[in-house]
Amino acid sequence: MAKVAREMVERAGVNVDQLLELLVNNAAAELTTFYYYTILRVNLIGLQGEGIKEIAETARIEDRNHFEALVPRIYELGGKLPDNMKDFHDCSACPPASLPQDPTDIQAMLKVLVAAERCAVRGYTHICNLTAGKDHRTYDLSLAILNEEVEHESWFSEFLGEGPSGHFLRRCETSPFVSKFLR
Amino acid sequence: MSLGMLSIAREELRRYNGRSGAPAYIAYEGSVYDVPSSFLWRNGKHQVLHEAGCDLAGCLDQAPHGEDFLKRFPVVGALSGD
Repeated sequence: MAKVAREMVERAGVNVDQLLELLVNNAAAELTTFYYYTILRVNLIGLQGEGIKEIAETARIEDRNHFEALVPRIYELGGKLPDNMKDFHDCSACPPASLPQDPTDIQAMLKVLVAAERCAVRGYTHICNLTAGKDHRTYDLSLAILNEEVEHESWFSEFLGEGPSGHFLRRCETSPFVSKFLR
Repeated sequence: MSLGMLSIAREELRRYNGRSGAPAYIAYEGSVYDVPSSFLWRNGKHQVLHEAGCDLAGCLDQAPHGEDFLKRFPVVGALSGD
């Protein structure tokens, strides 16, 4: 644990135990999303599905990166991950991004994907709001993750016909915002 | 409030906290909502900071969502008295 780092955050008025619970729950959401997106990705097939597979894969890898980036911060602040993987799954900050009943229904698949990203956008916005000006390192990390989650949301929403994302595909890279936390 | 709806006092609301098998109700702007069907209200807790059995007045100002999220839940009664 980084004792002084935690003390600084506490002295700034943040309830560190609550913040840690939020970080663990969001780390759980990232890892479970990585798992569920793996299933969604393999089912994104056919003329419609193949067009979405690439962005689903990028979002999947970036969500795993978010998990990897969150873990060190949890331990720095004196927290830890649950010992049991099932407990970890069950404390997720977001509902499971389960495969729709009809896995050939690409619209339903997109709705699952966009709902997962929207839950994440809300979650990191919440953490940014709680830590802004108080816990600079958690804020910086949450903001980096938020930047990527917003992009994921807009990619999937574009395919749902909600308007252009304004983005182009990643070019041979993942996590342009979070990568500085993965070194 | 329509006929058949419960009138729930704040003291009574506190018992509907979603723990130990109790129903999970929350109050907002005078209405009482039943939330246990939501994954995000498991065990009567929402995003670490909010608990069932309470009046969430004022909480939505800081929440990353609007009251439309609350209004998806069934209304089971009206909050009465103070």
